[in-house]
Amino acid sequence: MPEINFTIDTQTGEMEMKVEGVQGPQCADIAKLVKELLGSPEREENTKEFYARPSVKPQIQNKKV
Amino acid sequence: MSKYMTFPEVVFKDRDLLIAAIEEIGCKDIRQGVNLDMGRYYSEQLEQKVEIVIPRGSIGNRYGDIGFARTENGEYRPVMDDLDRSRALNGQFIPKLRAAYNERVIAKVATKLRGTVHRTVEGGVVKIKIRY
Repeated sequence: MPEINFTIDTQTGEMEMKVEGVQGPQCADIAKLVKELLGSPEREENTKEFYARPSVKPQIQNKKV
Repeated sequence: MSKYMTFPEVVFKDRDLLIAAIEEIGCKDIRQGVNLDMGRYYSEQLEQKVEIVIPRGSIGNRYGDIGFARTENGEYRPVMDDLDRSRALNGQFIPKLRAAYNERVIAKVATKLRGTVHRTVEGGVVKIKIRY
């Protein structure tokens, strides 16, 4: 199940966000949503999951004779 | 010296979330509008046009009003007297406002994703997890 983890430092009010369980550039959509409300982040890194290709299993059905 | 300063590194993009965050940290008496004048209580305080005003004396800001100016990009940036920086909410005005605003951003994201929210506090860190 995809999840987004936020941490807020109460001393500074600064926030960090990490998107987990979302493969490929889909997590960029979530980042875009957050940026619309927060502005551009000070630092941004893509995780390994960003570069992973979602696996697609081909489905082959036998023809009914 | 008393003078109004803008904090360019502190940005709030959503007006409604900002207003809600300001109220949450204890500023109930705020003025909203367009090109509002901030009060000039000392000769060094230059004219400031802002969209949101927290009046002087509301939260320990004894030297001047606290304002939020709208930039060309539609973002809001705080303007406050240099000497109030360490006085408003005992010097915690900006951190508390940022934290309150950020929590509201997270709540809005969770609503958009139709996710569940789990919030914990560990020491000085608030941890919030959205699952969707």
